Amino acid sequence: MRVPLLRACLAALSLLSTTYALYESEAGIVDWHKSLIGVPLTGSLGTAPSFHRATKDDGWTTSLIISATSSNVLGALNAEDGAVAWRHVFAANDPIAVFKKQQSTVAALSGPGGSTLRTFDALTGDLLLEKRMHAPEHGTLYEPESLGTSVAFVPGSNNLLVLTSGHTLASVDGKTGETLWKWSSEDQGSLIIYSRIIYTPIAIYLLGIAKSTASFTLHATTLSPADGTLIASQNIPSGLPPTSPATSFLLLTNPNSTRTPHAVWLDTKNGLSTFNLTPNLKGSVGAWKGTKYTDVIDVGLAEENGLFVAIAEDGQSKAIRLGDAGDKGFEVVYSFPDSVTSPARSPSIYSGGFDKDGNPYIARVFWWHTFKVNLSLIFHEQGGYIQTLAINTATCIGKVFAFDTNTHGVMTHVTHDAGPMGDQFATRFMVSTSTGGLQMYHTTGGTKTRLDWTREEGLANVQVAEYVEIPERLVIESGGADAERFGDRLIRQIIEAKDFPRYAMNFAKRFATGSYASVSESAPASPTDGPLSRDAFGFRQVIVAATSYGKVYGIDSSNGEILWSRVLGLGWAAEVGGKIIPFKLYTTRTVADVGEDGEAGTPQVVLVTQRRADNTLVDTVLFHIDAMTGEDSRKQSPTADLLQGFDIISGPIVEAFFLQNSTRTVVLFDEYMQVYLYPESTESEADFEAAASSLHFQVRTGGPDARQLMGHSVMLNPELSKRFVGYPTSALALPAHEEIQSVIPSRRGPVASIGKVLGNRTTLYKYLNPHLVAVTTASPASHPPSCAIYVADVAKGTVVYHAVLPASGGACHVQATLAENWLVYHYFDEDLQGQSKGYRAVSVEFYEGALVDDKIKSSDMSSFSNETTRVTAYDRAYVSQHGISALTTTSTKFGVTAKDIIFATTDGKIQSLPRRIFDPRRPSRKPTAEEVEEQLVQYEPVLPSPAQRILSHKHEVANVRKIVTAPALLESTSLVFAYGLDLFHTRIAPSGTFDVLSENFNKAQLVLTIIGLAGAIVVTKPMVQRKRLRERW
Amino acid sequence: MFTSLEYSTIDNSKWRNLPPPLGFSASSGTSKGPSKMSGSTADSASYVKLKESRAWEFAIAPAKSLPMQAFMLYMSGGGVQIFSMGIVFMLLMTPFKNIAAINSGFAPFEPATPPTKSFSALPLQKVVYVLCNILTLAVGLWKCRGMGLLPTGTGDWLAFESRGFAPEITLM
Repeated sequence: MRVPLLRACLAALSLLSTTYALYESEAGIVDWHKSLIGVPLTGSLGTAPSFHRATKDDGWTTSLIISATSSNVLGALNAEDGAVAWRHVFAANDPIAVFKKQQSTVAALSGPGGSTLRTFDALTGDLLLEKRMHAPEHGTLYEPESLGTSVAFVPGSNNLLVLTSGHTLASVDGKTGETLWKWSSEDQGSLIIYSRIIYTPIAIYLLGIAKSTASFTLHATTLSPADGTLIASQNIPSGLPPTSPATSFLLLTNPNSTRTPHAVWLDTKNGLSTFNLTPNLKGSVGAWKGTKYTDVIDVGLAEENGLFVAIAEDGQSKAIRLGDAGDKGFEVVYSFPDSVTSPARSPSIYSGGFDKDGNPYIARVFWWHTFKVNLSLIFHEQGGYIQTLAINTATCIGKVFAFDTNTHGVMTHVTHDAGPMGDQFATRFMVSTSTGGLQMYHTTGGTKTRLDWTREEGLANVQVAEYVEIPERLVIESGGADAERFGDRLIRQIIEAKDFPRYAMNFAKRFATGSYASVSESAPASPTDGPLSRDAFGFRQVIVAATSYGKVYGIDSSNGEILWSRVLGLGWAAEVGGKIIPFKLYTTRTVADVGEDGEAGTPQVVLVTQRRADNTLVDTVLFHIDAMTGEDSRKQSPTADLLQGFDIISGPIVEAFFLQNSTRTVVLFDEYMQVYLYPESTESEADFEAAASSLHFQVRTGGPDARQLMGHSVMLNPELSKRFVGYPTSALALPAHEEIQSVIPSRRGPVASIGKVLGNRTTLYKYLNPHLVAVTTASPASHPPSCAIYVADVAKGTVVYHAVLPASGGACHVQATLAENWLVYHYFDEDLQGQSKGYRAVSVEFYEGALVDDKIKSSDMSSFSNETTRVTAYDRAYVSQHGISALTTTSTKFGVTAKDIIFATTDGKIQSLPRRIFDPRRPSRKPTAEEVEEQLVQYEPVLPSPAQRILSHKHEVANVRKIVTAPALLESTSLVFAYGLDLFHTRIAPSGTFDVLSENFNKAQLVLTIIGLAGAIVVTKPMVQRKRLRERW
Repeated sequence: MFTSLEYSTIDNSKWRNLPPPLGFSASSGTSKGPSKMSGSTADSASYVKLKESRAWEFAIAPAKSLPMQAFMLYMSGGGVQIFSMGIVFMLLMTPFKNIAAINSGFAPFEPATPPTKSFSALPLQKVVYVLCNILTLAVGLWKCRGMGLLPTGTGDWLAFESRGFAPEITLM
């Protein structure tokens, strides 16, 4: 018994040791990781980024910018350098509703109606407290999410006041999480939705909106701070604007004055109105006489400093403070200059901030289309402009800042803080942009501002990404013209020959001492002077990535640097506004292709997008981009401007495909299944026409409950249309209740071998049908709910493989990948037939015929042959230890190297596992000699999870949505790029780097040995000759 | 420059008529004299018979050495090593060498003098000889097969199989 066990252990060891492992010295050299927090949610003050000054243990303070983001992350950035100080990734079903911060604590409410309260350490992001306020299904969701949820810190204690679902206020001990008391309004939020809390030692004020018959009115409630008993509750006679009731009222307090808290709102009848709040709510409504205001803006200073910004009818903005001075305590502190509405200026963005001592400041930021600063030397055509107002001294400083609207879109949000600088003050401010960028500026003396750092948070929303190979560096200039006469050439070569001795010397030197490029080093930096060029092994490629924020990036795959970025122009929709959603990305010209001018051109990509204009019109727009520089390959848009696309279809797109024959053509189908080709050249049209009769493609059709995957062909009917039109030919009919979740095309790449040779030298021929797709479906309506996976031939609609999988909690999270004849899928198995629940991974291999040596030539067989279903599937199920969010295989240049499975686990790791582990032919007993010859090891149900195969090692790669792999120039190596919230890139050699010299290859030793042997020959040759001569005598 | 002794150049005519040493040829020659005529046919018949039996022996010699070679093969093991490969090569090569040199090999046993070195001489023995050599070859091939050196499986020819393109193109 002992011997087999030992053997099994040895086999397992050899399995791990012969395969790839990441060495410590390679971490951070072969890979890079970009930690992102996502694009800040700037819609509401409760989630928008804001500065926070936190005190460290040693007494020093550090500034952080804390924000909730659209990626559902609560994150903090260091204001100094823009690095991520900490972040907390919330689950997808637990959206952040609001967060509040106070000194060393950040409190966040998340989930439906604010079901979960969490508090974090502001400096480290450590989770201090997590408390379920109510079950998520009992939460009431309002639109926007920040309505009806709020958190307030009780001064002088650890307690928190937590408002959830718009009707329940709880006092929670911030240390223990214990609920001290809880109060719910009588009508449970059906009529009154509270949204603001103010704590005073004599009463807790709750302010919300009440639905009355015609409009919305303000409703105030006061509670006892000790035990939460109701003191008073009544409507304030008011009429809120019906379009934006939630944002048109404020709750003001100013601890530095004797005034009681006030409610301020924009009344539809009386304009700006106030109401002084007392515990018994016996206040009176006061209307703002004189100026008519159209908007009140909470800059985050209302509830603690009694400050807000009001906009008058003509656009003039004023900072107003509740205090001891002024009319009934309200005083206009400052009227911002140049704030009257003007076509030369964009609408202003207001921000509230503090300095180190807690003095409030208000900043106003806008974009100035044309302005001139005459007093100083600065003479700008256009730019960003910031006015910072110090409330205490009522001084306002205006500065210009160089916001680049062509690379960052427009400003959507600003947050700032201030610090004294001599008798003046300096401002730091962070601008959020419409392309998902964050830019930190600070003002210096004079009218100058400096950019501190830029973060591209839009990269947390990459929609499509592809690798693009880049050309080699040109070292040798071609000599002279093509038609060079013999004499001229002779002269030129003689002249050039004078360099030969130097060349020979260099060659000898290089041969003797030169070092070779190493695979475990990072790719050497591209020369800064010349154009971008690849390294010796092709590890440097350009990753072209397009985000849903209308920006496309070129990223250097060797170090993660952003080489170029372009903002996608909206075209005609710029007038009305809109959004560009990337759909597909294709490489239309590679380094191997020849450009129009006959020389090897630079690689180009075509980005297929859908533009949704705000007037609901949808168009399909193409962007043709030079992958090396980001230039418009159609030469329509200048370098520093927006990238303008090409409106190919005025309407939505149904599908986009890539036809790769003699040309590389993007094939697009509109709603009427008409064919559009890009590039619109005669060659690509001819190419398409030639291939048209044999083209097949699949389209998802049908509404809910009748979804089908229809196989289509194209035909040309010149009488009806000059375009080819797609028509259905076959259908993969699914049961009525099944919903298609995803269609996964088989990964196309070179196939090194068409069969698998067994130990007895028979062959299992791989089923290499090029028309296979994997389809995952969900049928939530069936009993019990189930999921399914199909592998189907889309040209004919036949199902090759079908498995029904259990659904976990009614949902299907099936991940699958299909490469060559190999399908791997992963799902969660919930207590199936008494077995334990857990993740399962299933590996399926398809082989032709029923037995060994059976062949049907599946790879070049017509799809309409009867033989296509003569296929045998071998499968094995494994127990997986992780939930996974993305799954793929490696890809190499010639497909010789074994494929590894690469997957991203839900706990933020990227891991690889060798194909040998997934071999479905692993025997359940001890392998026989023939099976050992095939390198099969005994089947073990649990997939190993060795730590050395975690490609992301120490990094947390959160929420990976997709993993893209691409071949390097080395056959052994595959590049791996994972994107989701974070970006992570590495390279992996599944079978070891067999095609390069080993790291410890001793070149010096080899050269010395050769020299030594040559020397020995020189010495011994005359000796031997002499000896021979003597023998003759 | 090598020097060699050329005995043929010696002019031996003057030694030819010397009498043989005492007790040598004369007595034997005379004593055998009478039987020479009567026995010459019988003698030559027995001589031919002897040759024939020697030819048979020669023909089945490869088969005789088979047990020894089989033993050697057994001892050399199934692995592909220099020793086993040497034996296998010997087994595979000798039959061809033998068959190539079949006529000169049988020349000493041919009844006709000088030997004709044609296939028509000793045909039966030669056929048996070829068969025995084929037997040796078969043993060698059997060994090769045992070592997995014969390309008999489809797996050995997989690399030479090629596939074209499918007649339909699926856009993905």
